[in-house]
Amino acid sequence: MSKLRLNGVSKAYGATLALRRGDLEIAGGEVHVLMGSNGSGKSTLCKIIAGSVRPDAGQILIDDKPVSISGPQSARAAGIGIFYQELSLASHRSVEENICLSALPVKGGLFVDRAALKARAARYIALFAEVAGEGFHAEALVGNLRADQRQLVEIMKALASEAPILIFDEPTSALDRAQVDRFFEILRGLKAQGRGIIFISHRMDEITAIGDRVTIIRDGETIETLKLSETDPGTVIRLMVGGASDMPSARSSAPAVAATQEEAAMSVRKLTGKGFRDISFEVARGEILGLGGLHGQGQSALLRAIFGASTVTSGEVTIGGERYNAKSPRDAIRRGCAYVSGDRGRDGVISGRPIIENVTPIHYLRDRLMIARPSSLRDKAMPALEAMHTKFASLFHPINSLSGGNQQKVIIARWLIDRPDVLLLDDPTKGIDLQAKSDLFALIRELAGEGLGILLYSSEDAELLGNANRILVFNGGSVTRELTGDDRTRYNLYQAAYEAA
Amino acid sequence: MRSVALFLKQPLVVALVLIVALLYLGESLSPGFASADQILRLLIVASLLGIVAAGQNVVILGGREGIDLSVGGVVSLSAIIAGNVMNGADSGILPAVLACLLAGAFFGLLNGLGITLLRIPPLVMTLGMLGVLQGLLVVIRNGIPSGRAAPGLSAFVTQPLVLGVPGIIWLWIAIGVFMAFMLNRTVFGHRIYAIGSNEHAAYMAGVPVRLMRIGLFMISGMFAAIAGLCLLGYSGSSFANVGEQYMLSSIIAVVFGGTSLAGGKGGYTGTMAGALLLVILQGILTTVNIDESGRQMVFGATLLLLMLFYGRGRAMRA
Repeated sequence: MSKLRLNGVSKAYGATLALRRGDLEIAGGEVHVLMGSNGSGKSTLCKIIAGSVRPDAGQILIDDKPVSISGPQSARAAGIGIFYQELSLASHRSVEENICLSALPVKGGLFVDRAALKARAARYIALFAEVAGEGFHAEALVGNLRADQRQLVEIMKALASEAPILIFDEPTSALDRAQVDRFFEILRGLKAQGRGIIFISHRMDEITAIGDRVTIIRDGETIETLKLSETDPGTVIRLMVGGASDMPSARSSAPAVAATQEEAAMSVRKLTGKGFRDISFEVARGEILGLGGLHGQGQSALLRAIFGASTVTSGEVTIGGERYNAKSPRDAIRRGCAYVSGDRGRDGVISGRPIIENVTPIHYLRDRLMIARPSSLRDKAMPALEAMHTKFASLFHPINSLSGGNQQKVIIARWLIDRPDVLLLDDPTKGIDLQAKSDLFALIRELAGEGLGILLYSSEDAELLGNANRILVFNGGSVTRELTGDDRTRYNLYQAAYEAA
Repeated sequence: MRSVALFLKQPLVVALVLIVALLYLGESLSPGFASADQILRLLIVASLLGIVAAGQNVVILGGREGIDLSVGGVVSLSAIIAGNVMNGADSGILPAVLACLLAGAFFGLLNGLGITLLRIPPLVMTLGMLGVLQGLLVVIRNGIPSGRAAPGLSAFVTQPLVLGVPGIIWLWIAIGVFMAFMLNRTVFGHRIYAIGSNEHAAYMAGVPVRLMRIGLFMISGMFAAIAGLCLLGYSGSSFANVGEQYMLSSIIAVVFGGTSLAGGKGGYTGTMAGALLLVILQGILTTVNIDESGRQMVFGATLLLLMLFYGRGRAMRA
């Protein structure tokens, strides 16, 4: 008998198929691991089970009986509890209230039963008493807790649902070793009670430590379910990556580093800051250095810190042999550094203002301009915009009149009027169309050819494999592997990304 | 047809149409309201307001709920400083101008530092500063009016200078040209709009956001100081809280002129029309014998109405 079964579940958002075909079977008393790369459909699958997304087709059975899950409430009623990766806590309320939030004990049909609430919460707090760390107690406000402690509260909240089926979507990302061990002990206890547990993690060591079976999802389809005791990490990763995983990325697309340009454009020594630690590397002039790994492993944090937008606690950055360590973006720009963010709404677009004012701010700073003469600015802006194949009617139209891809091109053009020495690209193609992407990478390779040192972080592996000369794989805030030459394969990239930090 | 409708929706056009309508209304209520002499007088009063509103305008354009509630206090303080420094002598005009500008810049600097370094919201910081200034006024004056305007200053404000138009109106026009140039043709101006519409993007593009913001409050303080000096010239001597009314009316003039309270959108030309409009409205209210408290009520209601018209569908803290 299976606890939970999904038959041919699918979900499309407009023309995009988020989940093509999901087949899944969870037995009572097992920890079932879901694995797949970013955007493979894991989260959609979990959301369908938890009721926050309604499937277009397919069947869900609980205890072999078909059920219809119409929303989070009905999922809870059907016996499903979920740990949300993007924590769902009320930061101004106490730990105990958060734990009981989804089902507050009530007396007299109206008032919260404080005593019952305390007693219930205390049970779950006690589970982690030895590992929760300083300042963690029932009355503490969630907003004052550390990231790992907040994650523990979310775990407790999921446990407090006492649901027969529990989903944990990356529950361990902020936890330390002892906390993870304690959590796994608890999970084993739940297994013994016969509950069905779905577990998502990107750490191979955790998966082999706690998982019984694994289902691999690739491109929105559940590929295969294996017993973890009868397989090895290599097989799992190979299934996740799909065909041609061992093929080195096409060399022709990435220009080789010219022999004459051996001097480093930028070198980073033992750099440590919020979200990354002890990072060392050199980027040669003309080189595209890729930063790979799963999302949020310190790549963006490192780029922002190099650009002076967040603080560096120790270590050194040099540009052209000179100590650089930027104190602010302004400082970084003055010393020849450029930073293109994928989050253009927050970091890039000056909304409501003309295109020309969106292209020129870096030029103002680097040329120490005081007066903004439209005619001379136009001569500077046009070549940069044309290099990006930007489509626009007039420089004086507001930037909001352009499509997302064209807005991003304007933002990139901003950095190219006066050539920087080092270009930091932080997932620069997020949310732009294919044509714009290929235009952008053609330009990036051209810029490398001109001798810029380029750091490229991308959430799309194909972009890294197709453009970077070398790839540093990030895992848990540090570089765990460097891929060069023929080692630049999807398989190696995944293996390094998923292995234990 | 659509373009005509669009044209009529431009805040500046709305303001100009209203100005003509109000002048007509004033003239029909009290013949002579729209005579040349009267219009010149209205323009002088509007110049005083318009100068204060220039500072208010840049602060509001700079965004992050930028607003300067202390302008009224700076106007009053500046009028007293000017009166005491020149004390009726033309030779004292230049030192008075410098002293006033210095005082305005100083209080603007304090506002700017409080807002950027101590992260006090502009509304609270400048309201607190207004309280400090009002207290300071009581202390230095001890309730007794003091200081007189120099004849040269009074003439500049009230007597025809060129083409029968008093100097202060020329000054206002010059400020209008200067503001238009600064906002549209200088890097500083572009940066004001940049921090007003997306502060974080501006920071990432190397705009010194804090320094800019401090600068904007200093500009506001200095414009208020100039207005205080001219106000002394207009009234001859300074009296208690002479600048009080400018807090609310400068904000209304800016909003009337189409500048968004959320920042990043608008300009000074509209503000000039807004200032003129308010002064005419004030004239009409006086003509029909509505006293100061009644006028304040009408002004307050006007601001709320404007927010309703211009602010619809746009959150203040966008």
